[in-house]
Amino acid sequence: MIRRVAIVGYAQSHHQHNMQKTREDMVFEVCKEALHHAGILREELDTVITASTDFLDGRTISSVFLSMAVGAFLKDESKVEEDGTFALYYALMRILAGTHDVALVEAHTQGSTFNPHQVTFYTLDPLFDRQIGVLNDIAAAALQARMYMNRYSVSEEHLAMAAVKNITNAAENPCAHRKMPDVSVEEVMSSKVFYDPIRELMMSPISDGACALILASEERAKEITDKPVWIEGVGSCQDAYLRDRNIQNLDSLQMAARTAYKMAGVKEPFSELDVAEVSEKFAHEELMIYEALGLCQEGQGKNLIERGTTRRDGEMPVNPSGGALGADPVCATGLIRVIEAAKQIRGEAGGYQVPDVRRALAHGQFGICAQKNAIFILGGNGS
Amino acid sequence: MGYVKEERPTTISVEGTWNIGSYHYKGSKLMEEYVKGLKQKKLIGSFCPGCGKVIVPPRNLCGRCHRIMDRRKIVSNRGTITCFIVTPPMEKGKLKVLGMDPVETGLIKEGEVVIPVFVKFDGSDSNTDTILLNVDPKAVHIGMRVKVLWAKEPQGALSDFEGVEPV
Ligand SMILES: [Zn+2]
Repeated sequence: MIRRVAIVGYAQSHHQHNMQKTREDMVFEVCKEALHHAGILREELDTVITASTDFLDGRTISSVFLSMAVGAFLKDESKVEEDGTFALYYALMRILAGTHDVALVEAHTQGSTFNPHQVTFYTLDPLFDRQIGVLNDIAAAALQARMYMNRYSVSEEHLAMAAVKNITNAAENPCAHRKMPDVSVEEVMSSKVFYDPIRELMMSPISDGACALILASEERAKEITDKPVWIEGVGSCQDAYLRDRNIQNLDSLQMAARTAYKMAGVKEPFSELDVAEVSEKFAHEELMIYEALGLCQEGQGKNLIERGTTRRDGEMPVNPSGGALGADPVCATGLIRVIEAAKQIRGEAGGYQVPDVRRALAHGQFGICAQKNAIFILGGNGS
Repeated sequence: MGYVKEERPTTISVEGTWNIGSYHYKGSKLMEEYVKGLKQKKLIGSFCPGCGKVIVPPRNLCGRCHRIMDRRKIVSNRGTITCFIVTPPMEKGKLKVLGMDPVETGLIKEGEVVIPVFVKFDGSDSNTDTILLNVDPKAVHIGMRVKVLWAKEPQGALSDFEGVEPV
């Protein structure tokens, strides 16, 4: 990268169902707290980038009402649709361009305002798929799960084990939504079926939540903090629409990861990464993500979950925070993963801290069957 | 405050709909060709001369080659199930297929399950989403051979293609 850029502060809400805060208050609180965490003032921000979708916010040009809350009053501001990791990408580019030095990145969704699953129906092709009417994001995820499970002999137990790992991890995370410390494989497998094999506890919950982080150029980062978390590699990639796509693998995620690894000089992700925070909206996606990230061979994701390799105390911890199955305030979910990865590097993860994290991966996604993916490789001063 | 729906300790819930009217999506003429094909019980796909892929229903652009898929190919009305799901038992008003409630129209009986599937028609390279009919849900499997179930009197509409059934 032409300029080193670091994360120097962050904050997130206590994600929950139907939060008793307005969208503006919720966003204000995380932005204020992120500035406080970095120890800087609003006046020191050069630019503010936010992420949400107009459909989920229930209004067009949905950032206009938020400029006060995010600290963008009379400042350079822009918004991206979809996941917060894409907002982070945008902010990173602004700093790399040399035109700005300090950025605040914010992302949020209040799933209680409007059912996010209902919105995803409108991402389908209006000429054919919408008229046929049988698909939505959950049905498509179930088709993907079925295809993947059939191809690689993955059982429903494997999916349930992945769900149990993340949901029990979430119980240690004060910001997570699902609080089920004693959840069992049997409980997951007997939860309500939405579209077979997808059950309620294999899906991310519908959460209200927001997060914000502060990004700074090398010079400013060193002035702001002793513990900058450096962005060492980034990659993003988008796959084709459902009809013309191989949905049993996450090809675009694989390509995004390869780009990020190359930039960060990561050759053996399994041994060189200390922790990964990924956006698994459904339990089967977690196994598919392991494979796309190169943490194991194609079709071997189930082995990592069977052997406990990706548990918090395993060799390659994935989602010690509980991941998206722990809380899913849609547009914020990927940016929360970046914050969780940064917390691990700075040793601020409290009850779910993984020992000696020097290098971490964070993943954000958007679209039906994870059509679009972004990867960030983060490192501490010692990495 | 006539619009206040519910009082809570710290926030109020105000109901609002977002009725911004109807959209007029511009469709490719390809869809017209496709439904004309359905009237003759033919499945028309678009063929990309760059990579040789055939997409059903047809689409105008190939993302891989970044070019117009300007050729057509008629594919077989037989194909293979690449994945499927079985829904919980149906109730009236739960699902709309082609704008109609399949329970109300009698296509699916109340209490029956619906089986959305992806089909790869012989000679095509795409996931065509439709529903599988006339089958015991327990017998459905990936790799199952199916054929198009045509409407009795095709009208030249998407509904001419009712679904697929086992061969
Ligand atoms: Zn092509």
